[in-house]
Amino acid sequence: MNHNKRPTELQESAATETKIAFAEHLNQFNGFCAALHNLERNLETTGNDAFKAALLSPGRMVKTDDGAEWQHDLELMKDISICHRRIADEMEFAVVESVPFPSGETKDVLNSGHNVREMLQTFAHDQRQVLRLWKDDVTAQIREHLEQKYPGHDINIVVESFEYKMSRALAQRPAQAQNQSRGVRI
Amino acid sequence: METMPENEKTTPATAPLGERLAYSIQEAADLLGIHYYTMYRLIQRQKIKTCRVLRGKLLVPRTELVKLLQTDLR
Repeated sequence: MNHNKRPTELQESAATETKIAFAEHLNQFNGFCAALHNLERNLETTGNDAFKAALLSPGRMVKTDDGAEWQHDLELMKDISICHRRIADEMEFAVVESVPFPSGETKDVLNSGHNVREMLQTFAHDQRQVLRLWKDDVTAQIREHLEQKYPGHDINIVVESFEYKMSRALAQRPAQAQNQSRGVRI
Repeated sequence: METMPENEKTTPATAPLGERLAYSIQEAADLLGIHYYTMYRLIQRQKIKTCRVLRGKLLVPRTELVKLLQTDLR
């Protein structure tokens, strides 16, 4: 696709309308990307903080759905925390997710390991995959939305602009992020 | 073969939310009372199976939601 081609008035208008229709998704997506970049940037510090918390305080008890008992160390992001437990002389860490279902909260171990830094790296890698899944799904939703709203028109450039913007948000760290897109201004 | 009465026939897009065969991520999250990012996390961990429709949009089958509510992921 030639992105140097000037978008038509309809494409510009479709982009503006889509930006409004998907504003919540796009804002949330950017927020979660920023949280991931923050975690990746501060991985060493977060790992040290978790280790210190594990050494200094017993923390409140967290029982996960597999029956294991952990001590809470710190909140990592919304509904996700770092916990630890001692097995013999060794310390094991876990990233625990709480899912607040109306029928009751579930607690699941997302990642675990003896090296907190490596565990956080794996967690960050997994979150990146989740965000890719989200990006692909939102892109598909945008395409569906535009095809229904503008049947028979070429809206590829609009869809690709949103996809590109989300890919950049996921790829870049906040300090590197620039307010740029291609194709259609969004 | 038994056929559905004409007035009860609904397309996936127009069927009431409770009668659909599958839901978008947003709809499924609303039905479960959780954030849609949590839904993507559950999908990534293969706690919920999804299918993709023509444009690649993810759909959560109704059976998966029922299963999830019955087991609460345990």
